[in-house]
Amino acid sequence: MNGPDVVWYLCVAAFLFCTGALGVLIRRSPLIVLLSLEIMLNGANLALIAFARHSGREDGQIFALAVMAVAASEVVVGLGLIVAMARRRLELDVDKLRTLRG
Amino acid sequence: MIAAAWICLFAPLGAAIAITLLGQRLTRRGAGYLATTSVGMSFVAALVSFAALLGDSPHNREHPSTLWHWLTAGPYQFNLRILVDPLSVFMMLVVAGVGFLIVWYSLGYMDGDDEERRYFAYMALFVFSMLLLVQGGNLLMLLAGWGLVGLSSYLLIGFWHERPSAVAAAKKAFVMNAVGDATMALALFLLIQRTGSLNFEVVFSQAGSLGGWAANLVALGLLGGAVAKSAQLPLQTWLPDAMEGPTPVSALIHAATMVTAGVYLMVRTSPLFEAAPHVQELAAGLGAATLLLAGLIALVQTDIKRVIAYSTMSQIGYMFLGAGLGAYANAMFHLMTHAFFKALLFMAAGIVIHAIAGEQDLRKMGGLRKFLPRTYWAFLVGALALVGVPPFAGFFSKDSILAAALAHGWYGQLLWVAGMVGAFLTGLYTFRMLFMAFWGEPSAFVREHFHALKRDVVGASLAVPVGVLTALALFGGWFQLANIWTAVSNWLDPVAPPLVTASSLQEAASSAIAVVLGLAGIGAAWWIYGARRAEAPRPLPLLERKFYFDELYDALFYRPAVFLANALLKWVEQPLVFGSVRELGEAIRGLGSETRALQTGLVRTYALAIAASLVVVTLVFVVVR
Repeated sequence: MNGPDVVWYLCVAAFLFCTGALGVLIRRSPLIVLLSLEIMLNGANLALIAFARHSGREDGQIFALAVMAVAASEVVVGLGLIVAMARRRLELDVDKLRTLRG
Repeated sequence: MIAAAWICLFAPLGAAIAITLLGQRLTRRGAGYLATTSVGMSFVAALVSFAALLGDSPHNREHPSTLWHWLTAGPYQFNLRILVDPLSVFMMLVVAGVGFLIVWYSLGYMDGDDEERRYFAYMALFVFSMLLLVQGGNLLMLLAGWGLVGLSSYLLIGFWHERPSAVAAAKKAFVMNAVGDATMALALFLLIQRTGSLNFEVVFSQAGSLGGWAANLVALGLLGGAVAKSAQLPLQTWLPDAMEGPTPVSALIHAATMVTAGVYLMVRTSPLFEAAPHVQELAAGLGAATLLLAGLIALVQTDIKRVIAYSTMSQIGYMFLGAGLGAYANAMFHLMTHAFFKALLFMAAGIVIHAIAGEQDLRKMGGLRKFLPRTYWAFLVGALALVGVPPFAGFFSKDSILAAALAHGWYGQLLWVAGMVGAFLTGLYTFRMLFMAFWGEPSAFVREHFHALKRDVVGASLAVPVGVLTALALFGGWFQLANIWTAVSNWLDPVAPPLVTASSLQEAASSAIAVVLGLAGIGAAWWIYGARRAEAPRPLPLLERKFYFDELYDALFYRPAVFLANALLKWVEQPLVFGSVRELGEAIRGLGSETRALQTGLVRTYALAIAASLVVVTLVFVVVR
């Protein structure tokens, strides 16, 4: 069962997380932002599972399953919003949605 | 006997509570019957106590009774305690007896008023308070009753609360009484500090060892309470205004019972006053000054109730004169006869007012003798008793006070002269009122508005108490004829031994002169107002303005207080309080508009902020570790 060291997994996880974060910060299409969010969540999931394996306990895996469930619900809400926006023929650009400006 | 005294005290309180709690479930008439019955029960209980005391030997008639321990303050204890002795039984009989007749009369007088139940609850509360005042077994109970009668007086003066003048009069009475309550409370504090107790026996036994200034201060404080409650100089201005209340209230509270509480206080605490003889003389002097002043003002009043109110002040002046000179039994005897004839005068005046559509102005009356013959006779008996014409009640009581003054040295003789002038004034103003109201040709107003009383339950409840009081004003003075038949003095002397006794010669001379002067006053009134042989003199502005006391107090207390309040509003409240509130608000609003710029509404800025903070937090963790 000995694979690569836990450090490699963490490096991949960090890379995934940063890629996702970068996507969230610089892309303007809500669809891509949602996608990048999924990548961030999966980076975090990978880190959880790597640590679970490293310490030989299952808590991390269970946590990862919970994160997936939350991610699925979040995607449902997010995609629903995007569909609603498309139906109202709103421009699909997060920077245009600024009604909450103080 | 003790049980009877407790029943006497609590029966009216029970009625007041029952009327309050039952509310609409009790008919209006039912509330009246309940109040009347309870006060009647008090009177019967007072009679039982009286009969029981009669059976004791004259020097063994003090029976204190403690119901429970009321309150403890440090080493001091106060009990809910009553004292049944000749003085308190005397007052119980007067209060419950006259009170019973007046509450009964109210059944007719208040018939049809929208708030009859409230009226009767207040009346019963008043009778309870007054009984608490006279039965209280220590000075604290007395003070509690003292405050409660002030409260019920306030409530009843302002009973017709839709009239602004009634509300103002109620406030005035309450404030002036509060001044007296305060001085009295201060006197009690000093007594507690000096003697460690408020029980009558303890306090009185140590009265002699109070020391000069403490004794004077205590007596002055008590005198302050007495003059406020009894409407004597210098706190007299509230009583005439108190006539805004219903007429039975004026009869019960502002003539027969509450306003005489000051006299009761002076007799009850006579050892404290005797320890401060100058204060006691001051009380007598105030009484004499008040009786002259009130008699003069009564000459020019045009409201029938106000004339009677001023005559009440004047008569209480006589009582203060007597109590201040140490003629305690004479003062109490005058208190009793005054309760009879003054209640009679008020209630007869109430029938007159009732019969001519609520009008109280003497100038609009006239010729009522033909319309109300029986009321006229009752009023005449009351007036003759007030002037002190034998054999009516006032003759026996007032003249013995004046005789005692004559026996009291030069100071007493000075006051005796004042009392004699007062006797003349009494005859003049009383019969001026009587002639103006009942004699002459009926005025157009009377012809238009007169309506006779109905001969039913309502009419009977007006007529019967007036009849009983007429009999009492006729015969009530026969309890005592000075130096010959002294039932009242014998009864009261063990409680408050008199300081002066007049000789038979002084009694006879004083009576003769007082009667002659009273008759002269009646004659003068007849000359001017009855037969109209002379033009009525124009009223002096000094008298019409009541010696400018209201204006004086207005300038001394009211205006400076208003000025101070306005100055504080302008210089303190508006700049400091309002200003600071406004500036605080503006500062917070400015802060808000600054922070608002942070909310860009741009999702990516929020995400960046989150990411940046995460980085900072991570760095902090790494570095700190």
